[in-house]
Amino acid sequence: MTVHLRKQLIALAAGVSLAVIANGVPALAATPADTLVEAFAIDDIISLDPAEAFELSTAEVTCNTYDLLVRLDINDTSKVVPDLAESWTVSPDRLTYTFKLKPGLVFASGNPITAEDVAWSFERAVKLNLNPAFLLNQFGLTGDNVADKAKAVDPTTFTLTVDQPYAPSFVLNVLTSTVGSVVDKKLVLEHVKPVTPSDENKYDNDFGNGWLKTNYAGSGPFVTRVWKPSEAVVLERNDKYFGEKAKLARVIYRHIKESSGQRLALEAGDIDVARNLEPGDLEAVQANKDLAVASAAKGTIYYISLNQKNPNLAKPEVIEALKYLVDYDAIGKTLIKGIGQIHQTFLPKGQLGAVDENPYKLDLAKAKQLLAGAGLPDGFSVTMDVRSTQPVSGIAESFQQTAGQAGVKVEIIPGDGKQTLTKYRARKHDIYIGQWGSDYWDPNSNAETFTANPDNSDDGKSKTLAWRNAWDVPALTAKTKSALLEEDPAKRAAIYKELQEAVLKDGPFVTIFQQIEVAGLSGKLKGFRLGPTFDSNFLAAVSKD
Amino acid sequence: MSALPAAPRQGRRAWLLSNSPASRLQARLGRAYMVWLRFSANGLAVAGLAIILLLVLVAIFAGLLAPHSPTLGDLAGARLLPPGTPGYLLGTDDQGRDILSRLIYGSRLTLFVVVLVAVIAAPVGLLVGTVAGYAGGWLDAVLMRITDIFLAFPKLVLALAFAAALGPGIENAVIAIAITSWPPYARIARAETLTVRNSDYIAAVRLVGASPWRIVLRHVMPMCLSSLIVRVTLDMAGIILTAAGLGFLGLGAQPPTPEWGAMIASGRRFILDQWWVATMPGIAIFVVSLGFNLLGDGLRDALDPKEGAQ
Repeated sequence: MTVHLRKQLIALAAGVSLAVIANGVPALAATPADTLVEAFAIDDIISLDPAEAFELSTAEVTCNTYDLLVRLDINDTSKVVPDLAESWTVSPDRLTYTFKLKPGLVFASGNPITAEDVAWSFERAVKLNLNPAFLLNQFGLTGDNVADKAKAVDPTTFTLTVDQPYAPSFVLNVLTSTVGSVVDKKLVLEHVKPVTPSDENKYDNDFGNGWLKTNYAGSGPFVTRVWKPSEAVVLERNDKYFGEKAKLARVIYRHIKESSGQRLALEAGDIDVARNLEPGDLEAVQANKDLAVASAAKGTIYYISLNQKNPNLAKPEVIEALKYLVDYDAIGKTLIKGIGQIHQTFLPKGQLGAVDENPYKLDLAKAKQLLAGAGLPDGFSVTMDVRSTQPVSGIAESFQQTAGQAGVKVEIIPGDGKQTLTKYRARKHDIYIGQWGSDYWDPNSNAETFTANPDNSDDGKSKTLAWRNAWDVPALTAKTKSALLEEDPAKRAAIYKELQEAVLKDGPFVTIFQQIEVAGLSGKLKGFRLGPTFDSNFLAAVSKD
Repeated sequence: MSALPAAPRQGRRAWLLSNSPASRLQARLGRAYMVWLRFSANGLAVAGLAIILLLVLVAIFAGLLAPHSPTLGDLAGARLLPPGTPGYLLGTDDQGRDILSRLIYGSRLTLFVVVLVAVIAAPVGLLVGTVAGYAGGWLDAVLMRITDIFLAFPKLVLALAFAAALGPGIENAVIAIAITSWPPYARIARAETLTVRNSDYIAAVRLVGASPWRIVLRHVMPMCLSSLIVRVTLDMAGIILTAAGLGFLGLGAQPPTPEWGAMIASGRRFILDQWWVATMPGIAIFVVSLGFNLLGDGLRDALDPKEGAQ
């Protein structure tokens, strides 16, 4: 009996598998119709908490999952548009900003969004004082006064008091950056962990940072379902979103680091969008009739920076010599073809006051002469931390060769994004190569980081790029500040021009190019668009045929 | 007049193959000649030896053979040229460097890794194995359990862990590979030791009053050498592949060092359109690994004491 039954079962199983084979299981690896699958190098993500995250990939995740008071208008980058805020007013002394929230807003958790949530989001960002906190600190917000300066007047009214009469556009521009994301106070408070107060952190709890690192408490068009480091980020549509709902139910970012891997996956239909295509693969995608390409000039510039703690790199002649040791022409024609344009000033083209001049060229003789002038006629040895991804590692190798010809022996230390960034932020590098994306579409974003360093000590609070490279420049710091309070746009632009000339001449930053972000797209996609900044690559409008 | 008059060719052969050697030297040379005869009868083994000799020659004369600099490229003018381009026989890589020159200089690194690993790992394994086998008892148990612990990990994973802990660099890669490759040698040496430790000649040496160290070093180790040499030679291919694997994963040689594994790693980005960048170092690794394998196979046949017994 049992034997008989078993025979029948085996026959049945064989029959089923034969039927499957006969029907022909579709070999196509098409992505689901309601899901956008993007290949993206996401190994730089170290936390999803908007008060902590300050990385390029995280900016994109945050801007699609959290809401702000105001947002940059991606159609006209000189304007901001309402997001959670319905309207706002600025007091005549330009010190107090009053935001009125839209009625009936709710978080993805179902909790209502009130001015209390907005105020607490500001408070925790300032009190946690993590990497992006300096954006809010620049308004004079500190752990002691933030509860008074950023407060809820009533459930739909939030006021922000700044310490100086800044140009209103500047304040609003800053509020469009991801650190201003509104988090769900009620939800996060359930996950707050107690910590022991110390000299660095005088608060007795972590404001939910430990939980928010890997979890989500926002209200954006998408919710973050899961983040697996260096593997994937999964977003799902938030059906409680107040605005136009996302067209697709799901977005999956897959960590595929290699450009060729992304291209293969795109050609095979395993992914819908390839985000890190290199020039060679980009050309192949452009030539493919079934695929499309999206591109946008970004406020991101790539630079080599020289830590002024290294005595050799601190010599002005060495700084200038290294600027003559990058083969800009060849790099522009090969390594960054199609993904960037040579640009040697720190303000990206398109921002107020940006200078578009590229005075430096590869000049070995001049560099050798400068090195001799610095007392280093035989060159010197130095290390360089390089994230092992293109195009930076290719540029680093090219720089290594050209610098080697002038006697500067560069030892490349490859690492992943997290390793190199952590070392860079601790000022333990010699030379670093990386990119800087503007936090908001205002020249102050880049000027603030390249030319301001209020406190050059190791425990300085403002960890700007100038600080990270121990470039102590009180005069430029003051000038940067003055540009901020200058109401007249023409005068403001003139100050930024001077700052750019100063960095171009003496700054420890060898700016190489401005990024053109490109993405290879499946032909089925509609409405995919890259924004001018990394926190304006919105996905809600994307749909599929 | 020299002491040994040049004997006719036939006479030298007979002298080497004599059944009744008149001196120790004659006996040793005779044995070596027998080994060579058996080895050279194996065509594939000779081919393996030729490959390895060629590798050594290329490494020694890299400076003369390489048409271009291995580290300086022409980014603007000669990037990603296909093989056969005049001046660039095997093409160029993404930095405009000549792949042939990089392969030629890379042979030095490959030899460096192989020789250093053999020099570090083989003596350690030999010492641990013979001491454990001869001493027996608790010392044997302790040494062999340590060996077991090392053998319990996959070799590449253990090497990766060591390389990551020591930091990237070719020297650290060598150390990491050496640390992971001695245990099999210890096992072989112990097995050989166990077969000879109770033999009559050892008992005789002990009767004469030799210390345990002298017995291990002078009378046990030589018996283990031939099987160890075979094993090390066969492992060379594995060592090259492990080194290439570490280089590929970014834990071996640092740029711009022309290490073959690292060259494949940087070439994989172009594998679709510029296949030669990754393929050429791959062929080089393949050929050299094959050479070591053939050589090891031939040595095993030639050195096998059972076949050699006449």
